[in-house]
Amino acid sequence: MRINGVAIDDTFAEAFPMKGTRLIVTADTPHWVQAAAVTMTGFATSVIACGCEAAVERALDPEETPDGRPGASVLLFAISRDELAKQVARRVGQCVMTSHGSACYAGQHEGKPIPLGDGLRYFGDGWQIAKRIGGRRYWRIPVMDGEFLCEATTAVTEGVGGGNFFILGADREATRAAAEAAVVAIRAVPGAILPFPGGVVRSGSKIGGKYKGMIASTNTAYCPTLRGAVPSLLPDGVESVLELVIDGMTPDAVRAAMRAGIGAVVSMGAASGVVAVTAGNYGGKLGRHQFHLHEVMA
Amino acid sequence: MTGLVLTAREASGPPIDLTGVLPERLADIAAMPVTCGRRRVRVDELFELRDGGPSGTLILRPGGAVLDNVGAGMAAGEIVVEGDCGDNAGAGMRGGSLLVEGDCGAFAAAEMAGGRLRVAGAAGDFLGAPLAGSPRGMRGGSVVVGRAGDRVGERMRRGLIAVQGDVGGWCGARMIAGSIVVGGEAGAGLGSAMRRGSILLARDPAEPPPGFADGGVHELLFLELMRRDLMAAGAWPMEFPVAGIRARRLIGDRTVGGLGEMLVLSYT
Repeated sequence: MRINGVAIDDTFAEAFPMKGTRLIVTADTPHWVQAAAVTMTGFATSVIACGCEAAVERALDPEETPDGRPGASVLLFAISRDELAKQVARRVGQCVMTSHGSACYAGQHEGKPIPLGDGLRYFGDGWQIAKRIGGRRYWRIPVMDGEFLCEATTAVTEGVGGGNFFILGADREATRAAAEAAVVAIRAVPGAILPFPGGVVRSGSKIGGKYKGMIASTNTAYCPTLRGAVPSLLPDGVESVLELVIDGMTPDAVRAAMRAGIGAVVSMGAASGVVAVTAGNYGGKLGRHQFHLHEVMA
Repeated sequence: MTGLVLTAREASGPPIDLTGVLPERLADIAAMPVTCGRRRVRVDELFELRDGGPSGTLILRPGGAVLDNVGAGMAAGEIVVEGDCGDNAGAGMRGGSLLVEGDCGAFAAAEMAGGRLRVAGAAGDFLGAPLAGSPRGMRGGSVVVGRAGDRVGERMRRGLIAVQGDVGGWCGARMIAGSIVVGGEAGAGLGSAMRRGSILLARDPAEPPPGFADGGVHELLFLELMRRDLMAAGAWPMEFPVAGIRARRLIGDRTVGGLGEMLVLSYT
């Protein structure tokens, strides 16, 4: 398949089931919303070493939030419900509760619950107050700038982690421009996030490595500087590769995000320096979900 | 399938105990025995029955008859009382909806565990309180009434009671948790010996409540959520502010080590 002169490889992205949840963070101003949301989604690029993958899904207007203040919707994904519960407790406790004027609510209510305020309430040292409002339970935890309001639980859904595609470009600048366009397009898709810095990965990995104990190492087949020394998968003329890793609340969200991202890349055309789009997989043996690029772009 | 309308045959007579006459048993109601004074009689001897109203709804037209235990123990469905109720309306309710278009007597919503009770007029004493001899009052659900008598929410454990107007004495006395909203004036003994829970007031109490420490005026975000929820249900008192989350917080009853609160909303 070729769109606007950009080759779309006949391959697929292999993705995995993950447990996901959505949280709504609010604060007095958009600045403080960002402070809380960016902090809580920091160091959350890959479950390999971070415990979870998380990012801001989108900013919320005051009329979209439970308390009428500016907010952000944040998605978090982990490999198990227990691990997700641990990450939610740590990140909300250390990054949202500590942030000036913040409040935190469940962004979805369908699915098995995990503790949100139910775990953090003990910080109140006995002065915390439970309130049931509109059928939902909240904790009011006294803090030094007033009260931290936090919903008692959030719901866990069966999400998808590791949707991806690679942008193969003629040089770093062209590849970066294409990746940035893809990020903008994907961030408009509800239910999907890009957990890596700026939404983009430059150090894609393969499973294992030559050193003992390494569960992942650099993806040599896509490293341009190793061309000639290793079995390379890079076509001629490719000097730079960037990967976009997508986590979604549903397979459809991942599919829509991939379509939006690849669409933005190919719309720039081959003249912009984009050579091809491909995807990462493990031969289809490991992941439950397969997103075939030709089907996604059909 | 429609609902059922029960119209009292006589406007006077001894109180009729409607325990067990519930929407979930509409088909059996006609032959159901109920207590009227000292007699056990069939429902259809006391009421004229006819189909009517939405499916699953029981409509009661008491005329002047006194109906006790309306909706007591109800778990689902809807009861509408086109008039007044006697005592124990919605007592022990676990679900469903009970709407009283007039007034109701004592012990309404006593020991209620779930569902919704709405009384357009006044409720008597012991609204949401324990039944006689019980240690716990209301433990869930929501109640909205126009006015109420003494001991509203006494020993309540959970749930919401929203009174649009005045309440009598000892409102929230020995309260364990939950929320009470008072749109008008409250009588003596407000929050006496309360352990936890919140009492929302439109104005400062006429006299500083003994046993309560003045915690100052603060912004309390949960008030915004509560306002939105109660406004949507038409239960946010007219006297309460329609914007702002500042409230004066009185903490008590400290004489019993209580961590409850009275929140005065006139500071927004």
